[in-house]
Amino acid sequence: MSFRKASVLPGFGLTFGFTTFFLSAIVLLPLAALVLSAASMHWGDFVRVVSSPRAVGSYRLSFGASLLAATINAVFGFIIAWTLVRYEFPGRKIIDALIDMPFALPTAVSGIALTTVFAQNGWIGRYLEPLGVKVAYTWIGVTLALTLISMPFAVRAVQPALQEVQRELEEAAETLGAGRLYVLRRIILPTVLPALLTGFTLAFARAVGEYGSVIFIAGNLPMKTEITPLLIVIHLEEFDYQGAAALGVVMLGISFVILLAINLLQAWGRRRHVRAAH
Amino acid sequence: MSITLDQVTKHYGGVPVVTDLSLDIGDGEFFVLLGPSGSGKSTLLRAVAGLTGIDHGRISLHGRDVTHVAARKRGVGLVFQNYALFRHMTVADNIEFALRVRHMRARARRQRRAELLRLVALEGMDDRLPAQLSGGQQQRVAVARALAHKPEVLLLDEPFGALDAKIREELRRTIREVQRELGITTVLVTHDQEEAFAMADRIGIMNQGRLLEVGAPHELYARPATRFVATFLGAANLFLARRTPDGIQVGGKSMGRAERSPGAPEHEVVAVVRPEEVEVAAARDALSSRYLGDGVIDEVAFTGALERLRVRLDEAVLAPLLASGDGDGGTALQVTRTRHAHRGFEVHQGQSVAVGLRRVHVLPTPLSSFTVCAASAPLADALCQQPLLAELVARMKTRVALRIEPSLGVADEPCAAQGEFFGTTVIAAEGANAQRAEWLLRRGVKDLLVLPAHAAPPQRVLIHWMGVAARSATLAMSASVLRHVPAEAVYVGIFPGRSDSERHAHGMRELLDARSEAQAAHGLEMRTELHFGDVAQELTRRLAEAPAQMLIVGITELRQFAESFRALLEGGRWPVLIVQRGAA
Repeated sequence: MSFRKASVLPGFGLTFGFTTFFLSAIVLLPLAALVLSAASMHWGDFVRVVSSPRAVGSYRLSFGASLLAATINAVFGFIIAWTLVRYEFPGRKIIDALIDMPFALPTAVSGIALTTVFAQNGWIGRYLEPLGVKVAYTWIGVTLALTLISMPFAVRAVQPALQEVQRELEEAAETLGAGRLYVLRRIILPTVLPALLTGFTLAFARAVGEYGSVIFIAGNLPMKTEITPLLIVIHLEEFDYQGAAALGVVMLGISFVILLAINLLQAWGRRRHVRAAH
Repeated sequence: MSITLDQVTKHYGGVPVVTDLSLDIGDGEFFVLLGPSGSGKSTLLRAVAGLTGIDHGRISLHGRDVTHVAARKRGVGLVFQNYALFRHMTVADNIEFALRVRHMRARARRQRRAELLRLVALEGMDDRLPAQLSGGQQQRVAVARALAHKPEVLLLDEPFGALDAKIREELRRTIREVQRELGITTVLVTHDQEEAFAMADRIGIMNQGRLLEVGAPHELYARPATRFVATFLGAANLFLARRTPDGIQVGGKSMGRAERSPGAPEHEVVAVVRPEEVEVAAARDALSSRYLGDGVIDEVAFTGALERLRVRLDEAVLAPLLASGDGDGGTALQVTRTRHAHRGFEVHQGQSVAVGLRRVHVLPTPLSSFTVCAASAPLADALCQQPLLAELVARMKTRVALRIEPSLGVADEPCAAQGEFFGTTVIAAEGANAQRAEWLLRRGVKDLLVLPAHAAPPQRVLIHWMGVAARSATLAMSASVLRHVPAEAVYVGIFPGRSDSERHAHGMRELLDARSEAQAAHGLEMRTELHFGDVAQELTRRLAEAPAQMLIVGITELRQFAESFRALLEGGRWPVLIVQRGAA
């Protein structure tokens, strides 16, 4: 089996070498340093740090809120993308541009803005307060912040896929007797599902790594509203570099497993199509 | 009737796409809607399928009014140009889609699927994905899918557009066989006349949102009624000819007595000669058909079975040639010959030949050419630039003659120029309109168009006639005009006095008569309105209601004109076409 495939473009060796070097220098090497740093701990210390109730609580919040935010974005991102692709209305271009705002905004600014709105005396928070709903300084606030900053990923992933769903397909289904829900379920969703999963994955990955916007609205109560990245920073501030590295390795591991699982799911979906063909 | 369309009208953003279209398609008929792109044929098909709503009119399928029924409940099968297969589903799932929607049992579904796959000759392809099939096979799947739920009507929207020639032919045959086997009423939309000829029981030809003519393929080809159909269905040479009591004359030469119309006065007509009906020979004596004139071979092109020639006629004969081939101006006559004729008499470029015509077909249109009439040459030239006239001339591929009458409108002065007024006479609406119009009508002008300087092509044409004797001529003229401008036609019936129930009923009967005659004899779809009161007042009021309107009026005697239309013409605000046909 040949390592390289014939290509009309020359310079495979050069570009492949560059790719390997670049990935190593800016991705693999720092990650290796992280793992090495954690590995210099005693096993007992490592387990104690990563399985402390405070750490476990932070995992739960970080990954739980991220999954929830990614799910919300998959649903509403789909709807937003649908609106932008399918309808012509005044201000469509402006809304389309607004989608990218969370990309460009420093995350701390988003956090401060959200806190202003949702704090107990904030614009919206003051009306939620009498209803017994507290957003700021609870897990709801954390999820809200994560949803905001990961929203563009979901929308931008689904948009091109939706553009490719031809109107004619829906019309064909309609003349064959299908109602709107049936068309959505059997024609549109299956066609955009891979893109939707990609959007979900990207949004999730972004949310897990988020720090800046969350710390303002979370209130950072240990065990309750403390996310893992914050816990790492706290360890660092106490000059406990090894502890920080240990938590980092755990995050790395969990993220890797979840992303791998989603990727496998996608690959399985593709294979299922191909298998159906034989 | 399987499909009945009644005055179907569709606008997109105020622009008419389909205008007052009525059509009946019989059970089991294979009907082809033929027209250039943008003629509204696809919109019409989508309207039948229920994918596009209509603004006016009714659509019935098998006697059931489905105008307001959703596409999914109409029971039609639709096939798209780009197949529109569900790419994430197998062939089997695609075909069974309509059956699943209807909750059919798996076993019955399998059975039906096998039947359909056999029908389109794709047995054993059940588990393939669309991406694994060729274009032709994909379209077969699309046909099978559209037939799965046993629709009453099959609609095909340019189904062969994306396929190459050979596969196209094969699929054409398959679809025709399937259609015959199932006896399903089928409507196919295409812009390809060859395809239309090959498949259709009947063809309907659309242009600018109107259905121009409907008929069997050979009928339409041999005896088109309109310029557009004559030139769109195959190539045609158009001549300005004369209908005389003795038959048709082209370029002063008699072309047979076949289409005689004894009794009718001599007048100008438009004649169609198919390229294969033109004969070339070494000399006049060697012709087996009627001699037209001499010409020089301009171009010889070999196209396989046929040889195409372009023959430049001598100046004297060239004059009546309006257009040839694909409408590239009347410069050279288009001729096609078989191999057999070629072997009998070989020609080369630059050779002089005698030209004869085997068969001349006269179009029934009363709009042959235009004669612009003005008091001076600059005024006449200015009128030639008038937008509506320029548009009509371009669309009709006809010509404009100039006629200078210095004493135009001066009572009791005779005509300055000799001879009759050819075709439709045109004057500018620039003051003393009624006086000048009357002057011309008194001097033998039959059809007179009075044009305001800036009038654009109208969006609505009002039609009215005074006296039944003028009805047929007015309708024929209106039908001709409306083939060249995409406007809606409205017959305004006006009756004297006030409305009461008896008069109203009488009026309605008149309107229905007028409408059915327009439809049956002239292929013109028009709406009708009933008014009571003074003719000129009612027409003026109606014309003033909306911009871009035109009036066509038929009169039987000049007295009517003087009484009713003086005031209306004096303002010069609207284009008015006067059709004068005496009872005498």
